[in-house]
Amino acid sequence: MPDDLYRLVYYSRNTITGDATALAAAITSILAKSQVNNQRVGVTGALMFNSGCFAQVLEGSRSAVEDVFERIQQDDRHGDVSLLAFDPAPARAFENWSMGFVGASIDDAARYGALVQDSGFDPARMTGESLFETLRKLAIEEEYAAA
Amino acid sequence: MTIVGSLKDVVRARQPRISALPEMAAAVLILDEDRKVEYVNASAEKLFMPVDPIGCTLSALFASCGATGGDEVFVAVDTSAEPAPMRLRLSDDRLLDCTLRSLSSGGFVVSMDDVTTYVRNAELAERDALTGLANRKALRDRLVERLASAARTGDATAVLYVDLDRFKAVNDTLGHPLGDALLRKVAERFKSALRDGDVVARIGGDEFAVIQSNAPQPAAATALATRLVDLISRAYAIDGHMLHIGASVGVAIAPDDGYEPDVLLKNADLALYRAKAEGRGCHRFFEPGMDERMQARRSMEIDLRRALALKQLELVYQPQFDLASSDIIGFEALIRWHHPTRGLVPPEEFIPFAEEIGVISAIGEWVLRTACKQAAAWPKPVAIAVNLSALQFRGGKLAETVISALAQSQLPVQRLELEITEGALLNNTDDVLNVLNRLRELGVAVSMDDFGTGYSSLGYLQKFSFNKIKIDQCFIRDIDTHADRQAILRAVTSLAVALRMKTIAEGVETEAELACIRAAGCDEVQGYLTGRPMPGGAVMALLEPACSAENF
Repeated sequence: MPDDLYRLVYYSRNTITGDATALAAAITSILAKSQVNNQRVGVTGALMFNSGCFAQVLEGSRSAVEDVFERIQQDDRHGDVSLLAFDPAPARAFENWSMGFVGASIDDAARYGALVQDSGFDPARMTGESLFETLRKLAIEEEYAAA
Repeated sequence: MTIVGSLKDVVRARQPRISALPEMAAAVLILDEDRKVEYVNASAEKLFMPVDPIGCTLSALFASCGATGGDEVFVAVDTSAEPAPMRLRLSDDRLLDCTLRSLSSGGFVVSMDDVTTYVRNAELAERDALTGLANRKALRDRLVERLASAARTGDATAVLYVDLDRFKAVNDTLGHPLGDALLRKVAERFKSALRDGDVVARIGGDEFAVIQSNAPQPAAATALATRLVDLISRAYAIDGHMLHIGASVGVAIAPDDGYEPDVLLKNADLALYRAKAEGRGCHRFFEPGMDERMQARRSMEIDLRRALALKQLELVYQPQFDLASSDIIGFEALIRWHHPTRGLVPPEEFIPFAEEIGVISAIGEWVLRTACKQAAAWPKPVAIAVNLSALQFRGGKLAETVISALAQSQLPVQRLELEITEGALLNNTDDVLNVLNRLRELGVAVSMDDFGTGYSSLGYLQKFSFNKIKIDQCFIRDIDTHADRQAILRAVTSLAVALRMKTIAEGVETEAELACIRAAGCDEVQGYLTGRPMPGGAVMALLEPACSAENF
């Protein structure tokens, strides 16, 4: 059924060129745009930027997730897109996030990308399930921190 | 008699408009000398409803329907040019062809034909119904236009041919509706990668083409081809499925690669062929010489497809000896292709080609059946080793073919040995292992051929318990003067002993090499020194009891 709840997890390589400021600006714009678009079609999820990679979880009706993902695929600000999981989901994990940015503040992510890479965290080596869990945990931490 | 002609009479007579005019399907307006509407027929009245056209200028009237160009209609009469219809697009997307002529009695007559359906149909004839992209005919028409204009300006025009890789597999396994949905998404990705003015067309099931003009070449075509390969290869999420396809691109650029539309299209196709031959997922530019190579391949393909039927294929047999006893323990069947004009074509030249054009299964089956049949007639029950191509494991019929060849030839199953390379295990490993295990259960022996070349993953030796390892001749050549080769050979033979597999050294050509492989502990040997490949008749003679005492 096109309206069943689905969850999609992917990661991709950042192709944005420029310094940390340019990167932060690009990510801010990606977030702002996706928050608006996702809210309209009922898609929730989280975006993480790390180690030169984007990792993103999208959840919503199957057709909405497919449409949002297709738009993301056509974006040339990233490449080497790996679709890790696309499956029916029992419930939303990011109910309140039209698109949360988790793991670090935008500035930190841009500035410390290289450091994070050294610490060994690499979304490219994770399965869809573990990447999703990581994003979910980070989102919860973020919510605590904000509270 | 034309409308205008009959109108002249009407006006001249200064009568109320004759009865035919109001009922005409075409909208007709008559304007006075001040270019204001004086009369409209029923069709015109309906057209401009609810506006009452009487007293309006054409500009005002057209504007009321969302169209512009009321003044341009007069250009022809004002410049005394031949009247030509002007197309109006109304806000409701109707299209009207509008012609204005002056009347000899003063004033003007305007006729307006609704050409919406006609134009839409013409557009549809230029569109691919599934994706809405241009079709092959439209592509060619646009290319003719672009090349004509490029010829005047001296600009380069690039044609990119794009083939989807693995689309057929998606279509076949998941069904046409999903394949269609995928093609529509691919079309969208094309559009997202193109600039205004580029033309993209769907010209076949999974074939697309792009015309790129007014761009610096070849840089722009390189950038676009790279982008398309990347973009189209990105995963698709469709109807709950994750789909992965790829794209190969061939590029030809006018005027360097041709300035005739058909030549350019053909050259882009040739470049695409090269991209596919070189592993897909890449782009290639047309190069002079591709055409000749293509012709040569075509003629080779025609010849190879006929070779079986014309009985140009022959098997020869190279003996294999046990190193301890010096007895002949078997023969490897080797294929030869005798072509009337090409002469003797070496297998390393035509077997990869046969794999590429898909005739390897037929050839492989012929080899298997012929070798079994001939070996069954030999006076001694020695082994017959037959090479299998990795591609013969596809299609799921290999085990049946082997069983059938054995049954038909009455060859005892223990005498058949199948040689595979690790290439057979690279893809669909589990399926291949299932087939190998099934053959093993029947009693067929299986050897690992060309061991030491390629990836030489020891994992394969663990996944399947081969009867024999054939050590590639590159380790045997001049082994007597190469300590490293001796070390490799010793390592492989001790590995084989531990795994309870036999070893055979291939390509032994000198006594010194033979002494080395004997010293390294190889079980068996095959090579020019111990016996060249020979026709079936010679095998019979060699195996006659009288001859077999003298070996090497």
